[in-house]
Amino acid sequence: MADDRGEGLELMCLLDSVQGLVDALTCIRWKRHQDAICELSEHGVVIMVEEWSCLQARVYFRKELFRTYVYQADVRPRFGVSLGLLVDSLSTFTSSTGTAALELQYPGPDMQLLLKSIDANETCMYAEIRTRIPDTIPRDFSTDEDNASSPQSFAVKSAALKEAIDDLEWPGSSVKISLCPEPPSVIFRAEGHGDLQIDFLYNAQADLFITFQCSHPTSHNYKYKFLKATTSNIPAHILKDNRGSKVTVSNTGLLKVQHLIPVRLAPAQQQIDPSANQQQSRVSYIEFYVLPEEENDPEMP
Amino acid sequence: MKFKAFLTNHGVSLLERRFIPAFEKIGKSCHLYLTPEHVILLHNVLNSNGVQAVAQFKKEALFEDYRISSQNEDRIAFTIDLALFARALRSSISMDGDKLQVKLVKKRAVAVERAMPYLSLESMGHRTAVVQDVPISNPLSRTDVHELQTALDMAQDLPRTLVQVPDLHLLQNLANRLKNVGEILEIGITQYGDFHLHISTSLVTIGSEFRKLRVLGVRADGGVLDGAVSASARLEQALQRGEASAVQVSMKHFVKSLQCQLTKPDTSFYGIGQNDSSLTMIFQFFVPGSRQMDDSISLHYRLPVLDPGLS
Repeated sequence: MADDRGEGLELMCLLDSVQGLVDALTCIRWKRHQDAICELSEHGVVIMVEEWSCLQARVYFRKELFRTYVYQADVRPRFGVSLGLLVDSLSTFTSSTGTAALELQYPGPDMQLLLKSIDANETCMYAEIRTRIPDTIPRDFSTDEDNASSPQSFAVKSAALKEAIDDLEWPGSSVKISLCPEPPSVIFRAEGHGDLQIDFLYNAQADLFITFQCSHPTSHNYKYKFLKATTSNIPAHILKDNRGSKVTVSNTGLLKVQHLIPVRLAPAQQQIDPSANQQQSRVSYIEFYVLPEEENDPEMP
Repeated sequence: MKFKAFLTNHGVSLLERRFIPAFEKIGKSCHLYLTPEHVILLHNVLNSNGVQAVAQFKKEALFEDYRISSQNEDRIAFTIDLALFARALRSSISMDGDKLQVKLVKKRAVAVERAMPYLSLESMGHRTAVVQDVPISNPLSRTDVHELQTALDMAQDLPRTLVQVPDLHLLQNLANRLKNVGEILEIGITQYGDFHLHISTSLVTIGSEFRKLRVLGVRADGGVLDGAVSASARLEQALQRGEASAVQVSMKHFVKSLQCQLTKPDTSFYGIGQNDSSLTMIFQFFVPGSRQMDDSISLHYRLPVLDPGLS
């Protein structure tokens, strides 16, 4: 890797598990044409998509998930790319059964994102994805620093959360999420053509919850289509794995849904690389931010 | 015009399990062309705007006791609905007898005035016999049969260079993913044994290069190429040296043609026809249990080129 081709590159990295990146990006692909913003830093790669300025999703792919990660830029590069194209192109690289790593480089001569992999029998795959200068800077959402009081949160199995949100589809467009400390519970209530309430009761369904943290009752309304985007695109094989999903609600009602997506090496690579046994650390983080509906939220900037 | 023969068990399974399912993926019906020596399935050969497929069997590969006669040099051709043909073959398997007679008949259905042609399959069990009539078109005219024969003869013109492509499953996986990226696929084949797949749109260029594959026909030494440059630059060099061809085909056609793997070919060769006229795929089958080529079966596909004269 340390040849002269590296000159002028801000990022050059090798990724073993392309499927992990494809899975993570698939989770935030809620429609066919989406513009994503990709930010590179010394910590890793962040890919963001934003919509109607009230829904934002971020995929964090830390540098530890790469086999090598060489970052050399003074200012964090940020570029726009079509998310669908990125996912489709990356998934092309998963078709080969070989153990070849994917080489990612940025920027190419024309500011492209360059992908390449060469496997043992000299089969080569390559892609150059056109990037553009982003016209907006993604909003910085945060659920922790807005107030002294700790945010309300709970974590449940991802599949359970997805199932609940899927079930809330039929009644209508708005879903109220309430957290209640006594008895500890989370209530999803959708009203519209009909109404439907789903209760997650901490005491009765202990195996459902991973954590539950709530000091005072809160409740906020969210548009169903935004809520749905937070879980509807998780690939089935990731759901089967059923890691937790953490839901946090800030004082202003900003909802944060965080998923952990396992980034596995192919079985053949695990044998080669003994350090790959530490599967726990091999996860990428996905975060969704959903703003509550207006009437509950007069203080929004 | 007479045709009567007995399909062997092997013949039934070849057709029902392998060749008809593969042909069904590219179209509903095909021509069945019977000659004194061969039985040929031809798909889409009389027009040039889709995937063409031709499977030719020596009569012994499918039939025994094969009798054919017609005034057109004992050749008969007609179109047949593949789904109906497959269904008739499938249900004949469930009979416990070992004789499956196939013959051409004309029958008058109740409400119809004129007698209609059928391919009649009669499976004879120990106690019962089941007759299934598969409707077919009227036999093709002398000129049409001649055209089919010309198409067959043309298929003997092999591309000058053929490369043996790797595992078809792998190629299918790749094509299924590439089809999300673009609709036009560029295929390059060099005399050094390199096989290129390439898509280029306004937003992305993406491709794959398989190198050092087995070459049949005209070959050249690839050592002259600069190994350090990119795959597409390598193809460009080869094209300039006149040691490669590249054509554009429809991604949809390419994906469809990969369904040929349902016929379970043992080796697959790809080549570009003369004057970049088409992309040709030739499949070979081994005699079961050996690595010897079974010359009683041949199969080839041909994809139309989107813009001949380009490249």
